[in-house]
Order: sequence, then structure tokens, then C-alpha cells
Amino acid sequence: MIRDRLPRPGEPSGATAPERSLPTTPARLAGAPARLAARLPRPSGFPWTPPTRPATLPVPPAERTLGVHYDTEWARRYPARLARAALTEAVARPAVAALAAPRVEGLDRIEHLHGPVIFAANHASHVDTPLLVHAIPDRWRHHLAVASAADYFFDTRLKAAAFAFLLNAVPIERQRVDRSSARRLSALIEEGWSLLIYPEGGRTPDGWGQPHQRGPAWLAERTGRPIVPIHVSGTRRILPRHATRPRPGHTSVHFGRPLRASDGGARELAARVEAAIAALADEQATDWWSATRRAAAGATPALTGPGDAGAWRRAWVLGEGRRRAGAPARWPKV
Amino acid sequence: MPRPGFVLEVDRSTPPILTWHGDGFRLERLPADRSRVIYAPEPEAGLEDPDEAIREALAAPLGDSEPLPALLRAGMRLTIAFDDVSLPLPPMRRPDNRQRVIEAVLDLAAAAGVDDVVLIAALALHRRMTEAELRHALGDRVYDAFAPHGRLLQHDAEDPEGLVHLGVTDHGEDVEISRRAAESDLLVYVNINLVSMDGGHKSVATGLASYRSLRHHHNVRTMRHSRSFMDQHHSELHSANWRMGRLIAASGVKVFQIETTLNNDAFPSQLGFLQKREWEWSGRDRAAYLATTAALRAGSDRLNRSVFQSVKAPYAMTGVFAGEVEAVHAATTEAVFRQQLVPVEGQTDVAVFGLPHICPYNVNSIMNPILVMCMGLGYLFNLYRGRPIVREGGVAILCHPTPWAFHPVHHPSYIDFFEEVLAETTDPLEIEKTYEERFATDEWYRHLYRTGHAYHGVHPFYMWYWGAHALEHLGRVIIVGGDPAAVRRMGFMPASTLDDALEMASDVVGRQPTISHLHCPPILMADVS
Amino acid sequence: MRALQLERSAPRFAAARLASGWRSQAAAQVGPVRLVDVDPLPLPGAGWRRVRPLLAGICGSDLATLDARSSRWFESIVSFPFVPGHEVVGLDDADRRVVVQPVLGCAPRGVEPPCPACAAGRTNHCVHLAAGHLQPGLQTGFCADTGGGWSEELVAHDSQLHPVPAGWSDEAAVLVEPVACAVHGALAGPAGQDLTAVVIGAGTLGLAAVAALARFRPDVSSILAVAKHPHQRQLARKLGAATVAEPAELRRAVRRATGSWILDNGQLTGGAPLVIDCVGSAASLADALAVTAPGGTVVLVGMAGHVGVDLTGLWQREVRLQGAYAYGPEPLADGRHSFDLAFELVEAAGLERLVSARYPLGRYAEAVAHAADAGRRGAVKVVFDPSRRRPEGSR
Repeated sequence: MIRDRLPRPGEPSGATAPERSLPTTPARLAGAPARLAARLPRPSGFPWTPPTRPATLPVPPAERTLGVHYDTEWARRYPARLARAALTEAVARPAVAALAAPRVEGLDRIEHLHGPVIFAANHASHVDTPLLVHAIPDRWRHHLAVASAADYFFDTRLKAAAFAFLLNAVPIERQRVDRSSARRLSALIEEGWSLLIYPEGGRTPDGWGQPHQRGPAWLAERTGRPIVPIHVSGTRRILPRHATRPRPGHTSVHFGRPLRASDGGARELAARVEAAIAALADEQATDWWSATRRAAAGATPALTGPGDAGAWRRAWVLGEGRRRAGAPARWPKV
Repeated sequence: MPRPGFVLEVDRSTPPILTWHGDGFRLERLPADRSRVIYAPEPEAGLEDPDEAIREALAAPLGDSEPLPALLRAGMRLTIAFDDVSLPLPPMRRPDNRQRVIEAVLDLAAAAGVDDVVLIAALALHRRMTEAELRHALGDRVYDAFAPHGRLLQHDAEDPEGLVHLGVTDHGEDVEISRRAAESDLLVYVNINLVSMDGGHKSVATGLASYRSLRHHHNVRTMRHSRSFMDQHHSELHSANWRMGRLIAASGVKVFQIETTLNNDAFPSQLGFLQKREWEWSGRDRAAYLATTAALRAGSDRLNRSVFQSVKAPYAMTGVFAGEVEAVHAATTEAVFRQQLVPVEGQTDVAVFGLPHICPYNVNSIMNPILVMCMGLGYLFNLYRGRPIVREGGVAILCHPTPWAFHPVHHPSYIDFFEEVLAETTDPLEIEKTYEERFATDEWYRHLYRTGHAYHGVHPFYMWYWGAHALEHLGRVIIVGGDPAAVRRMGFMPASTLDDALEMASDVVGRQPTISHLHCPPILMADVS
Repeated sequence: MRALQLERSAPRFAAARLASGWRSQAAAQVGPVRLVDVDPLPLPGAGWRRVRPLLAGICGSDLATLDARSSRWFESIVSFPFVPGHEVVGLDDADRRVVVQPVLGCAPRGVEPPCPACAAGRTNHCVHLAAGHLQPGLQTGFCADTGGGWSEELVAHDSQLHPVPAGWSDEAAVLVEPVACAVHGALAGPAGQDLTAVVIGAGTLGLAAVAALARFRPDVSSILAVAKHPHQRQLARKLGAATVAEPAELRRAVRRATGSWILDNGQLTGGAPLVIDCVGSAASLADALAVTAPGGTVVLVGMAGHVGVDLTGLWQREVRLQGAYAYGPEPLADGRHSFDLAFELVEAAGLERLVSARYPLGRYAEAVAHAADAGRRGAVKVVFDPSRRRPEGSR
């Protein structure tokens, strides 16, 4: 500052008078945080900061640790399992019971089953998974992995960790055929873990089912374990796609007869699973005997709905949207 | 799939390179565009079932040898010799290879009804092992079965009753080895081949020999003609041992050789950064480095030393070969090279060697200045095949604190060697001529070697000879961070930093020398073209 | 006449004792020594002459006195106030250069008849140190009536004077007295055959003892010198030591030289038959006893005071502990007197190089500090130059 006040050579002597001004300027004030930050001690390079990479080396492909490459091993270690079991029993199941009031049927059909199993269910809502975890019998519940969309549940580290922990979710590639994720799942089954998987590959966009993918059948064929078809209904009313807040409602979970791969291979098994779930839906809507006869005649109504109809007609046939809009509040408003 | 070894050309984006510095390490930035760093290959996978592999190797030996079960019969004298505490480095986690192999051999011997079995630690002139060290190497089962009955011996190269002179080779070399080993019906030698120098005929011809026999190849002339002593085919040390080994075989000593190899997974996962390439250090590695160096700064030398000496390597056995000595050793060498060899193009003006906390002769002990010289100019310098990493007349820069400190129990003659001999001369030939005889025959050293845990009186001379080839080859030796008095006593130059050392090197190799940094351990061997 | 005088002053001695523990130069400043102007001393009697010192050495015993560290043993055989300095070369009345042999035996004291020791020439054994017409004082430099070397003039008896051969430098001459002490020490041990001798300490006495052993003891085949500082090691080697060890290396070095063993507590099973301790501290004496062979001799040349040392080894191994004070006829050298031998040795071994620094009396504090730190500062013998009034540079 002193230096500023000294007359510079060639300057008129009048310029040497001190200028009256504010002690600081707005510009100076604006720069203050940056100056402060510059004064803070800075870590002094490697190893405090990450190493730079010698330029003589080829740049390696980015290391992929998310999506299907996320390693969920830790979530199946004992501490994580213990914490999850406690959460499931103490929080999730009471919450599901209160929210979804499920009716569970068909457990007698899987009474004889032991060891790892592939549960295949139709998929309408995020509530499906907690509901099924609630409904699946004890001997599988705490040894159950949930095949979850790699692109949806495993796209960030935080989400991946949360779902891996809470649901024992394992990533699965649903947009293309990916043998490595399938192999990981089959290894998991061979280790003794049961798998909950949605063959449709995602939640229904409009209430009707989507065509089944062949992954679950391939897994069953490869591991020799049975597929238990499950039909879930009512969850879409509680939390449809794009909804943000669940509304309590009634649901039902219907277990079907376990199916095993036969000579027809995965393609044939997948078709049988799809048919079985459709039959369960039919049974749910009518009765067992009618559904069985329709199934034998090949006349079970398809879950995918009227394929050639326009969007409004599909919704109209389903009929549930109207009901949801007009559903009375369960609690009187004060 | 482990990656092979690798030579990094240092550029301006290269992070500082981890450099061993005794009981610690530093990160050193090397000059860009004229330095290179030689990294070891990554550890190979270990054998899936080592015990099964050992049983198979014993049943199907290599070369002209019957399977071990066929060589064992009731009433025979069986001697099992094994490598001493100098192998492997750092000591491996239990179970040690020696335990696995010896238990397998003893299983067969028990099945064949062999009663007269003796175990001998093949010390040569090294110090005797302590009970804890023997238990670590052999396992408690073997120790408790043999030691209390006096059937676990340590070779005594100064026991006139316990040695037998087998003859003289065509080069006039005396062959004198352990009487028990020579007079057994079968001698089984159990090796750990950490580096390619180990094993072969050297096992018996050196490990079980006397001073009278050893001096024929542990001398300046031999070491100067071993280029390097890690490369059996260009090593006079090995030629002499091979002559002796063949004479031993010809005089009727039946040797069944068992050699095992390790991968180079030398450090536990907490110290995993020691065997990773710096630019691949994860946040965890960096945190581990910072925490480790901070702890080492806070610790006393003594504490740090004991911490480092307690490091056990998670080595895995990668191969086991049994049978006739030369056939076995050929297979072993190939396996060792597969894990350790790194192709390197040409020599450089300067070589930088970071010296670790341990060398073969200071397990559970102190790395004294003479061992620093031996480790740097003996072992690390000689980890080459073809040509040395540094050109003739070049400069070797060693990094080690080189304290003027000796273990009074393990290294008594080293102290005298340092105080008396090196104060007069550092010329290996002069040392050999003037002083070796007196130290080798000193009654007190002999007493300590035979009854205590001291290295033989002549051992410091061998350490000095080990570096004779390097001393002849190099134009200057600089020790970074070394105690100036101790470093000067050895005829080297002390420097406080690597930059200073490179500055000091410049009047030997010019202003812009090329530099090689040997990123070792984990152990690697440079195949210099 | 200017002189550095030492007074009997309890507070000053106490101050010196305190200060010496702190800094060597401080003791000279606050201690009992002061530069004073005094009248010339009267001649005590017939046969006495005035000597004007040319050079006067600072000896270890002087330093101990200045620091008030010396034993009270001396209290009755010195007389205050005295002028220190017993290593003196000077000019006598007739301008002859003479070396003063400072011991005040029967002859200078005028005791008739002399005691048997003095009669036999062994003036260092004189029993009349407190008798005769002089005040008590074992040597010139400790007696109030004779003065001392650290002054411009002293008085000396004819029997004390040795003429300096022509061509000698003052430096060589001033070393004759200390060298004579060392010769006496080197020749004190019993004769033997093919002996290994150890000399502990490499100050003036130690180095001279090495030279004396090399020259006058043909029965000593190997000399091992213990020296702390580099210049001492070089000199010891040049003067005839076959091996030079640092103090910490002593036991190992003797073990190597004699082929014995070191036991766990550091004592040697064998050792050297002749050990000359030119330090006289507890540590040096303990070292000496540890490395002396059974039946061997430790010669104490350095002035020892109160020392604490374990004498079990002395007893168990029948080690002889022998003092060596001053000089006399040497039986091992055919009865020649130590002083004569010293003249020979100083010339033959070129010992004048041991004189490292000269100071005028006025700078006594610096001189004493230099002498006290001689080893560390690369010096051996520091001397006063009383004839000089100004520092060398301003001449």
C-alpha cells in the first residue's frame, strides 16, 4: 500500500495525494472466499492426492464397478445378512402387512421343496418385492437374492449399496443378453441362494403384462433348480409406475406348482412359466377348476392383454384406473 | 491373470516412485525422459493343493531317480537336510514349504519303517537357528518329534568329528561335508528356491560343507567370475558347486533333491502398496502408505525394526520338483525365471536400488553396514541375466539408512571386520589376502558360531566378496540417507537425498545420465539385452 | 614481573569447580588463577639461578588444579600462592637455554644428607617434599618459593637444569619434561617377551608413551593405541602404534590382537600383559583392568583422583596396578635417566610436532580452554610463550 502512494516518475505531483476511497471494493470482497481458500494448507501431492498416470502407458479402459459389474458379495456376508434379517422382520414385514394386506395362497404347492429355488413373478410395482419377501416362506426368505435391473438399481454407488443391502439385490442386465450376469446368478444359485426374478424384465407400463424373457428358464435349466411361478395382484393400485406415494390397498400372492426344465430346454420352460402365471391370474379372477380347464384347452386369457387394441382400449378393459381415481380416502379428512 | 514384469519409461506425469529405505520407504521422483523403473511380474497363482502336489512329485521324480517310496526301506539311515533361516525373505506364513515337504517325506519314511532319521539345518557358516525359527520352518509336529531326541541337528562346519573329506575335484577343490549326511543311505535335501541362485548342487556342496571346502568358491576370484551368480550358466560359483556336487554323487552319497518355488506375493495386504505400481495405488493404498510412514516416523529404530522383522509373507508355493539334483534344478530354475524374469533393454549409466529391511543374513537381526553393501552390491546388483543393469564404470545408488549398528550376538565378527579390516582397506583382494585366515581361525568366533547364534568369523568376508563383482564393475557407489561415517568406512559416498546422489554421480557419468530404478522387492530379475 | 598466580581462595576454587562442569574456559575466568604483577622472587640459596621461561606447557595436572578437580592429596605438598607451569624451557642467568627438571628433591631443598631415594637419583621418590629451606611443593610450579613456568621469571636450582642441545627448537625442548614422564611410564612395567602393549589415551603423554614403547621396549612387539580423535589416531600410528582403536572399540581390538574371548560382561579371558593408562579416569581404569591379561600390569601415567573402579579382576587375575610419577633412572634402560631418554626420544621421534598452539600469558583463559579441549580441537600440547606480550599476528 505504501508503495502505491509513492510518486511514480513522470507523474504530476498532484497524483501523489492519497485518494479517498472505501477501505475495500466490492470486487475485492467477492474474491475473498477464493483468497481464503488459497491460504488454507493444501495437501502436497501424491500420495495425499491420487497419482498421475505415466503418459507412456496406454490409457486403460475405465474400470467398471457399477451396473452389472457391481460386486454385491459384501451384502451376502454374515453381518449384512444379520442386519437385513432384522430389518426385514422388524420393519419391512409389518409395513407390508399394514400397507398391502396380502392374501397368500398356494403355499401347499411348494411345501415339499427344499434348497435353492427360482421364484418368478409378474411385475407391476416396486411394492412387489417387499410383498414377495413377506410372502415367501421362512426357509427361503433370508437366503433370497433379488435379480434387479442393473441399469435402474445399480446406476449410482449409493443406490447400488442401498439395494444390495436392503433387498440383497443382485444386478441383472435386462436390455440385452448378457451371459456374464446370468453366469453370476447361476453361481449364486449353486451357492445355495434362492432367486426372486421378474421374467417380464420390468414393471408393467400400463397394467398389462409384458412378454417374458428367457433368463429365468435358462437359469433353471443350467442349475437344475425348479422355478416357482407366482402371480401378484393388487400392487399396481398401491404404487403404480411413476407414482411417488403409496396408497394402502389389498393384494394377493398366489404360488404355483414348481416347474422344472425338461427336454424342450429353456424356450419351452419359459413358455410354461408364462402360461402358469397366466393360469394363476385366471385362477385368481375365477376359480381353480375353471382356470385349469381353460388352461388345458389353451384358452387362458393372456396377461399381455389385447395386443392389437389401441392404448385406450387396453386401459379400458383393465378397468382399474377408474377405480383408483375414485377410490375414497381410507381415513376421513378432518 | 497376473501381469508380466514391466519397464516404465519415466515421464513428467509419472508419480514419485516407491523406494525402499531400510525399515521404511520413500517416494522418489526420478528425472523424466531418461529414467526407467523395472517392476516385478505380478504374483502367479499358487498350487491349488500343495500337499497333493508334493506327494505327486515324490512319487514321480524327475531325472534319473527312483520314486522316493522305492528309496526308503526299514533299517536304513535317512538324513533330511533343509534350508536355514536365510530363506525365504521375508519369512513366509505358516505352514512353511519346508514343513509341508518334510512332513510328506516323513510320512513315506514312516510307512517304509525307517527308524534312523535325522534332520539337519544346512547352515553352512550361517548362525544356528533358534527354537522359534526352527518351529516356524518345520512346524511344531516335526520339531516336537525330533528335537527332544537330538535328531534335529544344525550343521556344524567346525566340528572335526562331524565332517568327512570326500576328495578333491579336478580343479583341486576340497570337498568336505557333514559326516552324517555323507554316510547316510539317503540324503533328502529340501529347498526353498526364492531366487535362481538357490538350490541345485549348491544345496549340499555349500549348505553342508566346511570352511575348508567353502573357501574354494567363496572367494574374490570366483565372485568376480560369476556374472551374475543368479545366472547358473555364467556363474563360477555354480560351476564350482557343480563340480563338487558331482564328486559328492560319485563318492556314493545318494541325494534326493526336493526344490520348491514361491510366487512373489511378498507382503501382506496391509502393505499391499509395496507391490503395486504407483499410478495404480487406490485411496486405500495411499492411506496405508501415509499411515505406515507416519507410524515409522513416530517409532524408534528399534521398534520399527521389530515391526518389520515380524512381517510374514503370504507366499504361495507355485511348484515342487523332486528327484535327481540337476534335472530338478533345471525345472526349478525355469519356474523361478517364469515368475521373476523381466526383459530389459540395454544398460543405463546409473542404477538406483532401494534396500529393504531384510537380507538373507539379518532375519530377526540388524542390517549392519556390511550387509547393506552385500544386499546392494551383492544381491540387488546381481539380479540380472546377460549384462548388469548399469553399465561398466556407471554409478550405483543405494538407499538405506546404513546405521553404524551391529547385532552383538549374531554378527560379532562383522563388528571386528568393520572396525579393523575396513579401516585399513576396502579392496576385496587385499582383505582376502591379509585378514581372512585370521578371522576364519579365530577361536572366539569359532566358539560363538558353534555354541551361540553367531555367524562364522569368516562370514563378513564373504559378504564383502559378494559385492566384489559390483565393486570392480562400478565407477562409484553412493548411499542415500546413510550414516556418513559408516558409509565412508566402506569406501562409498553418503548423500542425503536422491537428488544429491544424482548430482554426485554426474562427475562420473555426466550431466544427463540414464537411470534404472529396480523396484524390488518383490524380487525380480532383469534380463538385460 | 608478570605471572599467572594461583591463590588459596575457597570461594574461587568453589566457583571454578562449578564453572568447570559447565564450560572449560569459564573455570579459568572465575577460578583461582589471575594474571598479576609480582616482585621477582629472592633466590632461596646457593646454587639457585633465575630462569626466564621461553615456553611453558599446560599439563593435565595443571588443568585439574585450575578446575579444582585435583585431589586434596596435594594440599600439604603444595604452597600458596604459587605460579603453575612445570614444563619449562627458558634462559638462565648466562643466557643458556635450559630445560627445567621440576621435581624438588633433597638437593634443591638443601636437605643434608639427602634421603636414600634422592641419593640413588630417584628424586621422584623423595620423602622430603615438605622439608628444607623451601616451602612445601612437589615440583617447581607448585611451590610458592620457586615460581613456575607461567610467568616471566622463576628460580631454579642447578641440579634441576638440563642444557638444551644446540639446534633444538623451543618446542622440542618444552616437550622434554612430559616426554620424560611418558618414558618413565613406558619403562615402568616389567620386562617380558613379545608383549602386546596397550596405551589408553592419545594426549601428549599417551602419544609419547607410544613413541617410548616403540623406541625403548624391544620386548614389546605390538602397540595398540586408543585414540578418540582423528589427528590423534594419525599421530599414534606414525609414532609406532600397530593398531589404533577408538575408546569404544578397545576391548574388541585387544581381543583381536591377543586372540582371546570376550565374556558376556565385557571382560576378556586373556588380554594384554602391559596396559598404560594415560587418562586416569574411572572409565579408562576399568577398561585397562578389563583388557589386562592375568598377571599383567596396568601402569597409571595419567593423574588419577578419586575413581570408582571394580578391583575384583585385579585381585582374581593378579593384575599389578602401578603408578608412574615423574622420572628417575630406568632399570629397563640400563639405568639411564628418564630425562636423558626423553632428550633422545624427542629428537628421534620428532615430537616437537606435538606442540600445537602458543599463547601469551595475557590470553590465559583462551589458552586453558584450548588445552582443555585439545583433542576435540585438533591440538595436542598447548604452551604459553611468556616472553611474548602480544598475539603472534601483531608482531
